[in-house]
Amino acid sequence: MSSISTSLKVSAFLAYRSIAKGNKGTSILTILIMALVYVNLMFTSSVFAGLIDSTENHVIDTLYSNIVIEPREGEVYIKYPDSVMKKINSVPGVIGTSAQYCTFTSIAYEDRSSGWNIRSIDPEDEMAVTTVYDMMIEGKYLSKSDTREIIIGKEISGGHGASLELWSLGGVKVGDIIEVMFKNGVKREYRIKGIFDTNFVESNRLAYITQKEMESVIGIEGMASQILVKTDKKGEETKYINQFVELGVREDVRPWTVYASIVATLTKSFSAMNALTSAIGFFVAGVTIFTVVHVSTVSKRRQMGILRAIGIKESIIIQSYVFQAVFYAMCGCTAGLAILFTILVPYFIEHPLIFPMGHVSLLIEQKDAITRGTGLIIAAAIAGFIPSWRAVREMILDAIWGD
Amino acid sequence: MNRDVIIEIKNLSRIYVMGKIQVPALKGVTLGINKGEFVAIMGKSGSGKSTLLHQLGLLDTPTEGEIVIDGIDVLRLSESQKTRFRLEKFGYVFQEYTIMPELTALENVYLPAMALGLPRDTCVSNGMNALAHVGLEGRADHRPRELSGGEQQRVAIARALINKPKILFADEPTANLDSVSSMQILELFRKLFRDMGQTILMVTHELEDEGFVDRVIWLADGEVVEREG
Repeated sequence: MSSISTSLKVSAFLAYRSIAKGNKGTSILTILIMALVYVNLMFTSSVFAGLIDSTENHVIDTLYSNIVIEPREGEVYIKYPDSVMKKINSVPGVIGTSAQYCTFTSIAYEDRSSGWNIRSIDPEDEMAVTTVYDMMIEGKYLSKSDTREIIIGKEISGGHGASLELWSLGGVKVGDIIEVMFKNGVKREYRIKGIFDTNFVESNRLAYITQKEMESVIGIEGMASQILVKTDKKGEETKYINQFVELGVREDVRPWTVYASIVATLTKSFSAMNALTSAIGFFVAGVTIFTVVHVSTVSKRRQMGILRAIGIKESIIIQSYVFQAVFYAMCGCTAGLAILFTILVPYFIEHPLIFPMGHVSLLIEQKDAITRGTGLIIAAAIAGFIPSWRAVREMILDAIWGD
Repeated sequence: MNRDVIIEIKNLSRIYVMGKIQVPALKGVTLGINKGEFVAIMGKSGSGKSTLLHQLGLLDTPTEGEIVIDGIDVLRLSESQKTRFRLEKFGYVFQEYTIMPELTALENVYLPAMALGLPRDTCVSNGMNALAHVGLEGRADHRPRELSGGEQQRVAIARALINKPKILFADEPTANLDSVSSMQILELFRKLFRDMGQTILMVTHELEDEGFVDRVIWLADGEVVEREG
């Protein structure tokens, strides 16, 4: 048997016996601490991942869907949007399309007035690409034939716990009449048909009227500012975009990510925060394991001296402590995952964290779990190595007789 | 070198430095131990007998002198070579119970055989044989806390014998045992010496132990002396 495999075998044997026959209370406590350290390491990144996921989903579900088609370069509107939509709807995997005309308006109610974006839609088409219809907290969603009716986001209404109190309409309700002034100077009164809350501040700042109503305001037909495209899978937008281009779509086609600068900002900010908390987490894990192994090496100082005296290599003794540390870390990771999946994730699904980007629960990503678990195990191995290495550097007789 | 001499030391000194004070524990000791001898190193407390055993057992490094064991100048070996040398050629029995509490008697015994790289089956069978030599084959699966002091010391002897060492070092092996257990241990050493031709070097301060050994090396103040009065 080779020297290395013999060393590993003896180390593993000593480590196993030390864990199996050693102090159970110490082992359980160490694993519990490792588990909490792992939960701590995972918690921030899971909140962050949940936040990113929630933001992305809100951007897709309530603002831009998966793909946005905009006018060609140099043009203001998409001409013949029905023809473009027909081509796009023929692509397998496309769930729906919705042409929108978007404009900035001034909306007033009593003595309050401020600027908001209004989108005109075909409600039936829109229901295939966004989920705003499912997020009405007051009143009803638009119908295709609606005129002089409007649905507004929570932030425009100013009620229902809106955060932009200063600019809102001060708590308007369904049935109230508001006045909208368009960029072309047309001023119209609209009855609020519904108020929606998407849990996402950006989409709660929008108002919707029907296409038919918008056409009567701007006096033109068959034009769109953008066409939203819903696809069956998030993350495969490029594939669809290529297919659209192959089908002869000459408009400017972009994935939702181009519009989601908020996600990039979040990622940047949270990455720095995440790195800091991770570094602290790994340090805490390392110090914990270091302390446990150090205490163990101090209490087993004489044993280590005896082992060395009878010819057990120092590297075997060190490895046995490293194996123990790695074992504790692995058990800690497993227990930590169990805590996350059986306690924390269900809890935060029931009681999500409230952010302007939406309601956020924990999202445990496999890659993150593996990376942090590996980091914890490496930190534990190093923390197991240092005290045992220091302990075996002591003179054998000093270790045995305690000088 | 005489072919029968297994340990030969020349002018061996060990000086301990404590701050600015130098304490000579061994002062130029020269002696030889023959293969198959059962030798006791005796002397008063502080005479340097344990220090001498530690130098010979490669547990400490002398300040000066030469140690040749089994034809090898052991002081020229690196630390890792010394470790291997101890594993292959030496067996140790210490004054106090020195077996691992987490391991069974059998596991304690075969640990050095494992470290030597022997297959598990061989380790177990050699371990059982060694336990049989010390009369503990029926206690193989017991853990140290389930064994008496004398039994633990016999497990330590079995562990010392597992790799068939050239030399068995025993540092006051009966110091913490009652008289009955002490007698059993000394009888065991005598049996090993008589039946197996095991070279044994034992440090003891019990005058009555003299009756069990071939030869006594007397030490006083770090020097080999004629038998003390």
